[in-house]
Amino acid sequence: MPRAGWLALGVLVGTAPWLVAAAFPRQQRYVLHVLIFTALFAALALSYDLVVGHVGSLSLAHPAFFGVGAYTAAILATQLRWPFLADLPAAALAAAVVAALVGVPLFRLAEHAFAVGTLGLALVASVVANNWVEVTRGPLCITGIPKPTLGALAITTLPAYYWLALATLAAVMLLYRGLTTFRLGRAFHAVRDNEPLAGAAGIDPLKYRLLAFTVGAALAGGIGALYAHYLSVMCPEEMTVALTVNLLVIVFLGGVGSLRGVVVGAVLFTALPEVLRLAPTWRLVIYGGLLLLVVVRSPGGIESLLRRATGAGAVR
Amino acid sequence: MRLALTLATVLLLAFSAGAQAPPIRIGFASAMSGPAAITGEGVRWGATLAVEEINAKGGVAGRKIEAFFADNKAQPGEAVSAVRKLADVDQVDVIIGQTHSGACLGAMPVVKEIGLPMVIEACSHPKIRELSGKGGNEWTFRVALDDEIMAYTFARYMARQGVKSSSILAMNNDFGRGAAVAYDAAFKKAKIQLLSTEFFDPGQPDYRPVLTRLKRANPETILAVILASDGAPFMRQFRELGLTQKVFSRGSLGSAEFLHQVRDNPKVGDGVVEASYWITGLDPEWDKKWTERYKVPPRIHGSLSAITLKWAVVPALEIALKKHGKADRKTIRDALEEVDVKDSPLGPIKFDANHQAWINMILIEMRDGQLRILEKLPTSPALLN
Amino acid sequence: MYAMVAAGLALMLGVARLINFAHGEFFMLGAYAFWFGYSELGLPYALAALLAPAVMVLFGIAYQHSVIRAILPRSWHVQLIATLATSIVLTNLAIIVLGTQPKEVPTVLSSRILDVGGLRVAWQRLLVLAASLVIFWGLHRFVARTRTGKAMRAMSQNREACAVVGVDVQRVAMVTFALSAALAAAAAALVSPLFNIFPDMGTTLTLKAFAAVVAGGFGYVNGAIAASFLIGLTEALAGSYVSYAYKDAIAFLVMIAVLLWRPQGLFGRRIGI
Repeated sequence: MPRAGWLALGVLVGTAPWLVAAAFPRQQRYVLHVLIFTALFAALALSYDLVVGHVGSLSLAHPAFFGVGAYTAAILATQLRWPFLADLPAAALAAAVVAALVGVPLFRLAEHAFAVGTLGLALVASVVANNWVEVTRGPLCITGIPKPTLGALAITTLPAYYWLALATLAAVMLLYRGLTTFRLGRAFHAVRDNEPLAGAAGIDPLKYRLLAFTVGAALAGGIGALYAHYLSVMCPEEMTVALTVNLLVIVFLGGVGSLRGVVVGAVLFTALPEVLRLAPTWRLVIYGGLLLLVVVRSPGGIESLLRRATGAGAVR
Repeated sequence: MRLALTLATVLLLAFSAGAQAPPIRIGFASAMSGPAAITGEGVRWGATLAVEEINAKGGVAGRKIEAFFADNKAQPGEAVSAVRKLADVDQVDVIIGQTHSGACLGAMPVVKEIGLPMVIEACSHPKIRELSGKGGNEWTFRVALDDEIMAYTFARYMARQGVKSSSILAMNNDFGRGAAVAYDAAFKKAKIQLLSTEFFDPGQPDYRPVLTRLKRANPETILAVILASDGAPFMRQFRELGLTQKVFSRGSLGSAEFLHQVRDNPKVGDGVVEASYWITGLDPEWDKKWTERYKVPPRIHGSLSAITLKWAVVPALEIALKKHGKADRKTIRDALEEVDVKDSPLGPIKFDANHQAWINMILIEMRDGQLRILEKLPTSPALLN
Repeated sequence: MYAMVAAGLALMLGVARLINFAHGEFFMLGAYAFWFGYSELGLPYALAALLAPAVMVLFGIAYQHSVIRAILPRSWHVQLIATLATSIVLTNLAIIVLGTQPKEVPTVLSSRILDVGGLRVAWQRLLVLAASLVIFWGLHRFVARTRTGKAMRAMSQNREACAVVGVDVQRVAMVTFALSAALAAAAAALVSPLFNIFPDMGTTLTLKAFAAVVAGGFGYVNGAIAASFLIGLTEALAGSYVSYAYKDAIAFLVMIAVLLWRPQGLFGRRIGI
């Protein structure tokens, strides 16, 4: 996309709160809320795609990292009164530590076993969140998580939240871009596409897989913290295995391994249902059907459709 | 002269008929999809039936009611989306719902921010009462009783019956966990010894491991926090394993739904005493209408939303319209504080300083496939001391 | 019960190299088919119990023709996502068409209880055990003796060679699929009288079956069966003696431990049935 196009998009996205207020005066809060969720989900999907798309490890454990981050931030903020700027990195760190600890043994497993192992992790995390009532308060939820404050600035209004979420998305996008290009990116792709050859070329697959896994987890944990602060409530229902399904849909629908694809996928997945306003169960049927169609006909997802449309060159 | 008068009258009538006041918009939020979808379906059915009923009688002070629905998936994040959708997109004046405690807790800060009254029909978390009303969240109201209130009342009743020990078996969700905490404290106060507490995942079919554990703990009674759909396999396996404890339950075990599920052998449920605040039979006309329309026994959440609409929200609308001539969010909120209904099917509906209505608790016994009301216990804040 | 479902999944994996995440839905649909036959049509138990697998065989074939053929040559990621998508579609369609109210199908055997010296068990459970043994024995015979069975084993070992030798690969795949669906449906018909039937019932089952299949040695049917018994046993023991709420987590942890100890699965990455 030409420079001017990017600039225009950036301006559009950055001034969204005012545009929304002008275009939908009565519904602006709802629309902003949807945009906030979309931005957070897109960031989460990108963090997931790092692992799935760029090192080729089908991890099903992402909800666990999201949950660890969210709960860490929630507990630190409510029990120990840590400020937002402190509990956010703590959340990311906690998730990264869990990922590192779990990743080392899990990555020794073959592909399918790895998937099962990560699935087990997600399940265990969900069960622990639900039952370790002394710490997480289980299904009674942690309530009263305070609004985030950036130094002297308190994020209390929806537009403020929107910009925070947008900033997060931008940061994640930059990080994603940085990690998946240049030498590091090539190393990731080497591990994904041809592990034995990569090994022979001196690239340790375990090291790189673990790196992607841990970074993805840290990002997920940070986003979890933001989410918890936004809702001011954190319950175990937010980190079930169903979250993985949503992420898989976004990533594969959008286009595994592609920044643009995943972001577009997140937008479609989060914003579209609000626009269409179908009965919720039908919505899921349509998603499933759409996903099936896309995966079968166009495995590159929407991204490959976009490429074909714009006549771009080599895929992946 | 007569012609002019007639013409004027006709024109006046035509004019007023055309310029009818817009309908009052009421939002209903519950779990419309996901594993708890059955509750959302019940709410939708109950709300639809009740709204039709009200409109058929001419509406509220001449104004019709329009219902809007939103899905909270029983999750706090989705509850926020649901509230905002109802508030901003559907422009509702009042919300009834959430049904599930996590969703209620997620929705509460948002209705406060927007300034939209929400009347909760079923969430049972005691914190909701603490957080609502004067000095707290002034936009949330609750008709249903919470676990603390019910636990203290029920435990006292059990103690009166001479019960000395019990074990708790509860669903592993907000409802079950909240109840378990409440009954733990209530048993202590009523001097009933709590021997063990077990949790199970709703929807899972095999209770034998947990029944074995219960058997080993050997309590005199079991307090089951369970819904009808899980209750059916539970009671079957209870009998299968030959347990003999008296079962006190809190949920919807003692219900028409349960009896429908065990209709091949209704004696499976004999002797169970259920504490609730709703049961079929409180409003026989409603039950009949429901069964005719939906072909299944009336469901609790659907009936609760309908009762909340008819006996809490509608009176508030009437008060608002009479006093201020309009029913918008603020006037409805103020009007809710003045509602004083003595004889709803649930008992008296009057919101105290914490915006809690102290409806009756009902004890129901199941025997031979029949439900029988044992006792109706009025509740009040004094119970908690 | 887990074993039968897992066996079906393993069959497909081993023979057709296919991951089917919609397998749990075969179970769910089989259960509903059984309910339909038993409750709505009023068929006697045995007939309804046979109706379920029959229906699912047809469904399995239809599924194979439409979805599976398209994704068979693709990577297992694609297969996973596609079948996951199918699972979502089927589960939610079930909610829409069949309603959220759980169905009960109590039968004569599930209500009667056998009391043997303090150990009480519903007759139905004995039926489940007996039937599973019969079915597994039948499966074993089929695979070991019949031509199609042998073809299945051959295919799981070396697909390309089979095509060369003249084995009708497509037909064998279809038979495998049908068999897999039938197994799931039979399991459903057997256990439904004991539990409730509801649209969501397949989802956890798929996860556990998947775990069993991988832990048992990826595609090795007997291994999958063994692993499922292990899962079932662990759950029951953990539920009774440790903590009921954590039992699923414990079972999964045990599975992971098994995988870590023997990354090739319990019986090694054996190909074949």
